[in-house]
Amino acid sequence: MVVAELIQYVATGLLVGGVYALMSIGLALIFGVMRVVNFAQGDFMMLGMYLTFFYAMAGVDPLLGALLTIPPFFALGWVVHRGLLARVTGGGDPQRQMDAQLILTLGLSLVITNAATMILTPTPRGIRTAYATQAFALGPILLNQARSYAFAMALVLAAGVYVFLTRTDVGRALRASADDPEAASYQGIDVRAMHGLAFGVGIALVAAAGGLLATYYPIEPSVAGNFIVLMFVAVVLGGLGSIPGAFVGGLVIGLVQSLTLLVLPFQLQNTGVFIVFLLVLYLRPQGLFGRRARTV
Amino acid sequence: MSLRIRTLTVTLAMMLAAAVIVPPVPAADDVKIALVAPLSGRWARQGQLKKMGADMAIEEINAQGGIKALGGAKLVLREADAGDSVEKAVSAAQRVLTREKISAGIGSWLSSFTLGVTEVAERLQVPWLTLSYADSITERGFKYTFQTSPVSSLQAEQALELVTDLAKKNNRPIKKAAIVGDNTAATVFFFKPLREKLLAAKGIELVVDEVWTPPLADATAIVQKLRAAQPDIVFYGATNFPDSIQVLQKVKEFSVKSPIQGVGAWLVTPEYVKTLGKEMLDSIQTVVATHPMKGQEEFVKKFMQRTGEPFMTQDPLCTYGHVWLIKEAIEQAKSADPKAIRDALAKIDLTSGPAATSFYPNRIKFDERGRRVGATPLIVQWQGGEPFTVVPTAVATRPVAWHK
Amino acid sequence: MASRARGWLAIAAIVAAGLVLALLLQERYHHRVLTLVFLWAAMGLAWNIISGYAGQISFGHQVFFGIGAYVTVLLVVKTGLTPWLGMLVAIAVAVLAAILIGVPTFRLAGIYFGLATLAYPLIFRIVMDWLGYQEVAIPMIRDRPGWFMQFSEPRAFDLLALGVLAATLVLSRAIETSRLGYRLRAVKENEQAAEAMGVDAFRAKMAAYVLSAAPAAVVGAVYIHAILFIVTPDAVFGLLVISQTLVVSLVGGIGTLWGPLIGAAVMVPVSEVLDSTLGDRLPGIQGVVYGAALMLIMLYAPEGLYWRVHEVLRARGARGAGATEPIVAPATAPAVVSTPSGTVLLEVRDVWKAFIGLQALSEVSFDVREHEILGVIGPNGAGKTTLFNILNGFLIPDRGSVRFRGAEVTGLRPSALCRRGVGRTFQVVRTFPRLSVLENVMVGAFVGERTVSRARTVALGALAQVGLTQRADALPGGLTTLELRLMELARCLATAPQLALLDEPLAGLSTDGVDVMIGMIRRVRDGGVTVVIIEHTMQALLRLADRLVVLDQGRRLAEGAPGDVTRNPAVIEAYLGKRWLARMAAPTC
Repeated sequence: MVVAELIQYVATGLLVGGVYALMSIGLALIFGVMRVVNFAQGDFMMLGMYLTFFYAMAGVDPLLGALLTIPPFFALGWVVHRGLLARVTGGGDPQRQMDAQLILTLGLSLVITNAATMILTPTPRGIRTAYATQAFALGPILLNQARSYAFAMALVLAAGVYVFLTRTDVGRALRASADDPEAASYQGIDVRAMHGLAFGVGIALVAAAGGLLATYYPIEPSVAGNFIVLMFVAVVLGGLGSIPGAFVGGLVIGLVQSLTLLVLPFQLQNTGVFIVFLLVLYLRPQGLFGRRARTV
Repeated sequence: MSLRIRTLTVTLAMMLAAAVIVPPVPAADDVKIALVAPLSGRWARQGQLKKMGADMAIEEINAQGGIKALGGAKLVLREADAGDSVEKAVSAAQRVLTREKISAGIGSWLSSFTLGVTEVAERLQVPWLTLSYADSITERGFKYTFQTSPVSSLQAEQALELVTDLAKKNNRPIKKAAIVGDNTAATVFFFKPLREKLLAAKGIELVVDEVWTPPLADATAIVQKLRAAQPDIVFYGATNFPDSIQVLQKVKEFSVKSPIQGVGAWLVTPEYVKTLGKEMLDSIQTVVATHPMKGQEEFVKKFMQRTGEPFMTQDPLCTYGHVWLIKEAIEQAKSADPKAIRDALAKIDLTSGPAATSFYPNRIKFDERGRRVGATPLIVQWQGGEPFTVVPTAVATRPVAWHK
Repeated sequence: MASRARGWLAIAAIVAAGLVLALLLQERYHHRVLTLVFLWAAMGLAWNIISGYAGQISFGHQVFFGIGAYVTVLLVVKTGLTPWLGMLVAIAVAVLAAILIGVPTFRLAGIYFGLATLAYPLIFRIVMDWLGYQEVAIPMIRDRPGWFMQFSEPRAFDLLALGVLAATLVLSRAIETSRLGYRLRAVKENEQAAEAMGVDAFRAKMAAYVLSAAPAAVVGAVYIHAILFIVTPDAVFGLLVISQTLVVSLVGGIGTLWGPLIGAAVMVPVSEVLDSTLGDRLPGIQGVVYGAALMLIMLYAPEGLYWRVHEVLRARGARGAGATEPIVAPATAPAVVSTPSGTVLLEVRDVWKAFIGLQALSEVSFDVREHEILGVIGPNGAGKTTLFNILNGFLIPDRGSVRFRGAEVTGLRPSALCRRGVGRTFQVVRTFPRLSVLENVMVGAFVGERTVSRARTVALGALAQVGLTQRADALPGGLTTLELRLMELARCLATAPQLALLDEPLAGLSTDGVDVMIGMIRRVRDGGVTVVIIEHTMQALLRLADRLVVLDQGRRLAEGAPGDVTRNPAVIEAYLGKRWLARMAAPTC
């Protein structure tokens, strides 16, 4: 195996992983703060892709369009939380809440996907950008331009979220609500509002990730199915509730997908991901960056 | 319950009630044909295209006076949504075939759906027409399943002949070939004989063989291999649209020059033009079961006007042909009884009429397994943002423009 | 006994109702819907065994469903083996898979476990595609079709599916009313407390997992033959199966065998009705309506329809007064009163334990003598509870050993120690909140008893010992602090311990409560149980303890008779303080 080829595999894997990483951060935030397993996460990403597509039809470059999905989707997330999720959280048995949320978000996913299929039609759309079929050449290594831009933007957005969570008061309040909602409320933090905030940010992030994805991936109402499992794997791999963990988890998945091709037949590409996932959990049950031990 | 929830529940209940109101019952002597295809979910587009073809045929037949042998009885389409799972497809088939007297059925695009649906049709003894390519569909000893498309393994053989011929004529003999595609059934059935004997028999070296499980994460590894190996032809089976787009984009990015020979009609949908642009598609070819041929220009124009589609492809054309075929079978059987229609189909030998001209060669006769005798695929090529039949030249609508 | 018979009667009624429906329905399509209801209810019940009863929510249960499907069909295709026998092979494979999956994966807890289980069916899905089994059709056998589970009469499939459902119902009920059922509920409610009461949590979960895998495999096998006729990896290993299972179980209500029944009976027909009415007319709308229905149901009944109805009914009628069976209180006072002998029951030698940044215990050694009451005292943070956690098996010491009745027990898990005779109560009472007081105590009784009736007798005896008989049917949430502590004591006693570790049993009690508790502890020792007790209140310990061990900052400061220990200057310096000494000198009331 020539070194250059190996570096190409690594580079390819990282670029793919960058967008997985951004997709997963939103999910990690929602789970970390609210303990909600959001089955509809991929569908919000799909909606973000469509919005970016419509921006592109209006002449806005999708990289910018991805950023512009953030405000409307934050609002959407906030509304969805207020109207639906808040009703089954807050009070009562935490295990029971988990069960209700599973079905609630599952139902939401069905509604979104089917409504999108009916309204937007199942015909796939694509955004045509010049840079989707062009590559930066670093010596013998080729880096697809669209994926590189998407990767860079994902890094920037993730860093932004990290700064928000660690350096701002609101961010700290969010983390407090995640750690210990009771104590947080004693401190005067409106935990319900924090949940809404977390959900809004989580949805906004995955929508933006979708926008970045749309620079090189076609858009159809069922696109969520291709990514939802990978998102969950990334979040659990990184350690539930850990934002940097989810980001690293996404990168690891992209990397593993790529490097698996060196050892396994192409058809088994994703088994590599699942095997690594299981191995990490066996060796480190709390995930890569998880804080609390999850063994019994 | 809060007011909001109560309101939502009432609305939901009203919708349900409205839905259960029975639609107008068709006239008792109408002949009903079932169409089980994905009309919702991820393959809804394909199902809708099929429906377009069926609707057009039914309209024509009824306008011409319906079924003469039954005193001008009209044809009626009963569609059932196969959704996005085998369970739903089989449920749809069961539902539609047991509610009313169905004379014959068509569907269901995805070979796994077709396999399940034909099991139901066989048990309920209703003849079933399908455009699916997979060999397995007619290898079960069924009496009620009829497959108009050439089977994948046969397509592999015939396509290879056509392609090597074409290449030789254009002074680009094929010495190295690549196989690139997913592991969906029809593709697997096509690639298997290619890989195992056909290429070797022609002295062609297989230099790249990459098959993936959809969805494809990234096409770099595959296309890099293509660039390194530089095959004289790439047999290409990426049936999942996002996978295919990724591969083709990479092909452009890496400046891979090898001619691409697709396997199936999924490669000639209008979405490709909108997503990739005309230039990237030019000269890409694919093997299909059927496509508008020379002499069908008026017919195609009519279709485009009816539906607003930029061009006509295999799926609506096949379904159109199937409906006409059923009509012919009913005329010959002089009955709307499914068993009689089945027997008529088993004996039928059409060489003219809208049914026969929808397929190549223009002859419809089935063997004892239910496969169309002499079925040969067509090769279709993208030129200027539209796919044209190029091979065989007898029915070509444009001359082939071999990849430069 | 009446309620137990009622459960079986209910099952019989359900099966009878299913039979009636199967006979009455006419249209083939309706039979298909009925078959689907039975099959999905059975799948939900199977899932419920591990996710409801044991509380380990699994998102990967379809792996067994898929194994059932593929094994039976591949055996038909490749060897011609009838699926009736093929199912047995499939069950064996599924059981094996359950063990292989369970062993590593049960090390994870909660959502980690759930999502880890998802990986397995997804791996299978990919591997099946790779092996070339994308679409395996069941060959149509025209002669002797029944031998190959290919019936032309749709009622036959109804009955087959009903049979699977009936078997799974019986299995569920059997688990519910068995020792395993109680143990699973205990593990689900509070795994640590369950361990301390002698329940090997891992074994219990594995048992539940294996028992849930077998019916899932059978459902998969029948599903293919009755519903799908072909097998694709996505159809049996994919997310649709687990989605349907989750919907059926969670909409119906988790943790009860009525849940999946209700869920399937409601959601499957709703889905089919939507498909056949709206769906064929306006494709796609049925998904929207179905999804909206799911959301509405969850908003109205987050715990599932069964529990919601249960709640509503319970709020209406008053709780039935008294138990349905007469409570027999066995004789309480022991004939012989035990006094401390000299034999050493527990030897603690040189135990060291450190956590990150804290040396919790250093070089701790002492003996516990048979039939004595040994008090462990010391200031906060002295390491008392850490010590108990080591003695009990929750922690492993870095160095040192613990010998119980002469045998080395360092490093054994809590359930093993409990079974050897080491009982425990906790500083903050750890109850099984949704079990009644009696059932809480029964969990302990199962250490020595195999059957529910015998465990019940032992538990009633323990409750009588502590005087809580009249609260047997109450839920822990309604008990006072004293009653809770007594219940925990009874639960510990029910495990028939030789050594009882009581961690601050007097905390939070009023003076009267303290008196009751002290009397109870004395009776426990008189009945032959050696007691080691952590306490803060020195006065109480002076009344109770035969000997004392003093810990300070992780070290053993003193050991011996209370009089000696309290006069030990180091002890006074570190813990008691000179004012305490002065107060002790002046008599109080």
